Amino acid sequence: MICPRCDSKTVEILTKAPVDDAWEVYICTACSFSWRSTEDDDIKNPDKYDKRFKIDPEKIHLFDQIPPIPEQIKK
Amino acid sequence: MEYKDLREFLVLLEQENQLLKITEPVMPEPDLSAIGRAAPDLENGPAILIEKVKGYKNSVVLNVHGSWQNHAIMLGLAKDTPVKEQFFELDKKWSSYPLKPVWVKDAPVKEVKITEEINLFDILPLFRVNKYDAGFYLSKALIVSKDPDEPDNFDKQNVGTYRIQVKGKDLVGIQPLPFHDIAIHLKKAEERNEPLPIAICLGNDPLLNFMSSTPIEYAQSEYDFAGALKGEPIELTKSEQGNLDIPARSEIILEGYILPRARKIEGPFGEFPGSYSGARLQPEVKIHTITHRVNPIFENLYLGMPWTEIDYLMALNTSLPLYRQLKRDFPEVVAVNAMYTHGIGVIISTKSRFGGYGKAVAMRLLSTPHGMSYSKIVIVVDEFVDPFNLEQVMWALTTRVRPDKDVVLIPYAPGMPLDPSSEPAGMHTKLIIDATTPVAPDKGRDTELLAVPEKAAYWMNYLKNLSKNQKGE
Repeated sequence: MICPRCDSKTVEILTKAPVDDAWEVYICTACSFSWRSTEDDDIKNPDKYDKRFKIDPEKIHLFDQIPPIPEQIKK
Repeated sequence: MEYKDLREFLVLLEQENQLLKITEPVMPEPDLSAIGRAAPDLENGPAILIEKVKGYKNSVVLNVHGSWQNHAIMLGLAKDTPVKEQFFELDKKWSSYPLKPVWVKDAPVKEVKITEEINLFDILPLFRVNKYDAGFYLSKALIVSKDPDEPDNFDKQNVGTYRIQVKGKDLVGIQPLPFHDIAIHLKKAEERNEPLPIAICLGNDPLLNFMSSTPIEYAQSEYDFAGALKGEPIELTKSEQGNLDIPARSEIILEGYILPRARKIEGPFGEFPGSYSGARLQPEVKIHTITHRVNPIFENLYLGMPWTEIDYLMALNTSLPLYRQLKRDFPEVVAVNAMYTHGIGVIISTKSRFGGYGKAVAMRLLSTPHGMSYSKIVIVVDEFVDPFNLEQVMWALTTRVRPDKDVVLIPYAPGMPLDPSSEPAGMHTKLIIDATTPVAPDKGRDTELLAVPEKAAYWMNYLKNLSKNQKGE
């Protein structure tokens, strides 16, 4: 399975529905995107996921850090 | 107050015809967010209890704060109380601060305790709030943390609302913005490379959610304020770990700790300005314990293009602290309406002591802790203009403003990064529009206001009764 948002192959099953076997939830370990098996195709299908919200996994490390990590104070 | 917790508040809302129950099963997507969008658009903006969500065990409640009627009932007022009156009632109750909490035994939130094989989806009917959110979010949680330098200082304990992205069965992301109180706690913990214990509280007394999104001072306790507004102490208990004070009557508590000195991708998330935030690197929280009531109700918040529930939740609680901070130095200030996008837009009504007074009051607002970063557009109107009545405010703008003298820009000041017009994110140019009538030594053209005819109050009452009788009420 491919992540619909970042196209990585790092998708895991996060959980099954607690009751009724109604759906499964998946998560991408590269970009933390998660989705449910019962959602629309434009959420689940990498080709149909809105391009404005696509993420390049190579660039994640360049994103802003909030809040910034402070200098460590040695004891 | 007639309610002690969320459950009792829902009973009260039902008695007041401010709660609807959906009994047939609904899908998590797209039904829950669609229900959350529709509820505040209904004429009376009721809360909606969804009893069965497919695949989940527990019920969901949405739009608990999503109308002026529900807001009035939360404050113990008649549901048809006008907004300006709710503002002044809130101001009265505010004066009872601090009303200290009590710690109780047998807290209902401890009825069930889970420490092994935690799976948030087992307890929480999670759903996507807006279509391009990065995942499933807790949008109405109350997060408790302590100052690591002073773990016994109750007043410096913080109770705030920060967005939470579910990233695993026992892992979530959190957004502490640098100007939020929890960021002070996190900075101190990270300087020592220590985890920061937190409690994520869900399904709370509506006044606790109200206070957790109120910009009060660092060393003021949200619990003491909520007690003041309630007129009785909030009931607290201790967390299982971390020595945190948590609400005893909430539906669900997720206990965990922020992993120090690490940032992972979080977002985007549809935010209160009505647009998506970007994706950023933010801290993560490991959940080690869940306690909850039997059959817990999951409360969450849909936020969309304003107005939705969040706009009611962050309206008067943004206005009142700003009003109080201005009033302290400028007693002429009559009221502050900071209801627009958490105070990005503010309307102040004040009498002018001397020429230029309106501008001075606006500049003070822009140097308050909240106004400094959030507020971008400040409109100042005369003391006889109701700042909660936008028709009156527009009258003041159209008939009082001299654009060459009364409009001021302050370039490149602190800003609110979630405002998409903040550029770069976190910088604002401030706009002040002084729509007050000039007083000496400033000089405007002579103008005489139209007065209300005599006996207007008598005829208003007469016509109201006539209208009621004709409707057969």
